[in-house]
Amino acid sequence: MKAVKNSAAGTLESSDVLVSVIPAGGSAVSLSVDSIVMKQYGRRIRSVAEEMIGTSGLSGASVMIQDRGALECTLRARLETAIERSAAEK
Amino acid sequence: MTQTVLDAREDRWNRRKAVAAGLGKGWAVLSFTLRLPAFLRLKRRYESISELLFDDLLVFLGGKGIESSFREFAVHGDGPEGTCTVRANPLEVKKLCVEFEESHPWGAIADVDVMDREQNAVGRSLIGIQPRKCLVCVSPAAVCVAGRIHSEEEIKRQVDEILSSPPFFPSERIIRHISESAGTALLLEAAAAPKPGLVDPYSRGAHDDMDYFTFLASASALAPWWGVFARKGWNSQGKSPESLFPELRKAGLRAEKTMFAATRGINTHKGLIFSLGVLCAAAGLLAAEGRPLSAENCTSCGASIVKNIVEKDFSGIKQSSADAGSLTAGEKLYLTQKATGIRGEAEQGFPSVLHAGLPELLSGIQAGLSLNDAMINSLLSLMLSVEDTNILSRGGKEGEIYVRETAKEALSAGGMVSEKGKEAVRKMDILFSEKKLSPGGSADLLAVTVYLYLLTQASG
Repeated sequence: MKAVKNSAAGTLESSDVLVSVIPAGGSAVSLSVDSIVMKQYGRRIRSVAEEMIGTSGLSGASVMIQDRGALECTLRARLETAIERSAAEK
Repeated sequence: MTQTVLDAREDRWNRRKAVAAGLGKGWAVLSFTLRLPAFLRLKRRYESISELLFDDLLVFLGGKGIESSFREFAVHGDGPEGTCTVRANPLEVKKLCVEFEESHPWGAIADVDVMDREQNAVGRSLIGIQPRKCLVCVSPAAVCVAGRIHSEEEIKRQVDEILSSPPFFPSERIIRHISESAGTALLLEAAAAPKPGLVDPYSRGAHDDMDYFTFLASASALAPWWGVFARKGWNSQGKSPESLFPELRKAGLRAEKTMFAATRGINTHKGLIFSLGVLCAAAGLLAAEGRPLSAENCTSCGASIVKNIVEKDFSGIKQSSADAGSLTAGEKLYLTQKATGIRGEAEQGFPSVLHAGLPELLSGIQAGLSLNDAMINSLLSLMLSVEDTNILSRGGKEGEIYVRETAKEALSAGGMVSEKGKEAVRKMDILFSEKKLSPGGSADLLAVTVYLYLLTQASG
């Protein structure tokens, strides 16, 4: 599933997360994570994101996560939506 | 977290960004939500709490000289939320919002976000303030929330503890007085007995679908709303009273929902939510303007809030909809008999209360009657002058004449002052109940009378 357009899901409200997907050349996916709870949960956020990107089959994209203390289930839902939106036909 | 909640949040975020994008120079947008987990935030109980906090926030900012506009309060899929724009430097207003969150007795559950016109969220870090502490412990809130550190029971207990303190800044004692006067008025009116044809502790009167306990449940559920109305009045200082009404009506509809939830769908206080809602707002407005809370000031301010309401609400009614059966009882009565009911009463400044109910209550109390007996006499004198749509819709003009004649007889026999009068009232109760005549309009205005009595007693 190739990223074809810029997309975002989520918000920068507290206990939420904003996930942005930007199409990039090639097939690699780069991931950047910024979180207000980086110290406590940074690794967990990264591994959840890597897992979801892997299962979705997303390619050729740069994924940016701006986390404001979201629950894991919120993070998963936002990632899923952002990836879907990025690949969707318009 | 359900998808509905997540979608609602995204919606709100997009609306905020849209508002921010349209801001003029020197303005910022505020977004108010409850800092509570979804299992609490989505409960109806928190709607009035939230609206109260949002209104308090605006009062607070107003007191700091910050002008707000575009105010909107609504309940969406993510729970209650308030939005407004403020004329202020985003960093300055964020500082004040933090001050509010930390100084209001219920501020710990308020979450006020600020966005500037470039659509940047202005967080605590930008004004050099530590991240917000958790509701329950001293760790940063985000750490506890994201990690689900505390159990639902633990959070609920803490929130109950916070909400157990009265939600008033010391400067707001007057708002508290207004809201308590209204809350108490509902209870006293319900307890007064014997009320002919009406629900009281000893009788259901003409009703078979509700009793005294239904009224207690309703009064208790509505209690938090009176402060909401009072604050809306307080907040509208400097604007035309009329412009306040649409906002009151919206809050009134939400209060109705609270009532119906408490009574399982029975209408106990719908008319009263209208009258007292307006009069609590009127008192709040007077208090904000530093004018005395007299019954006259309050009712005339109430009248200016509902200016032209009869025409506004009824001018569009057509005979065709009556034929089609799509009209409410009040609308039909207006169409067939030009009866304006509680709207007319309010629009004219509550003349029945001012010239019948209240003088009768006061003279009863001065004559040494118990509050109960003075309230019953007041109710009788209200029956003489109120255009009671409850009576008109069930008993027609004949019913109205019958109610007025019997009330007049009971009063001329001395009302609750004499044995003969008391006997007449008891007889009325039996007859009204048999004939299914329930003077609910008069009962509502008795509650209004008692409210004005309690309101003016301490502050007048």
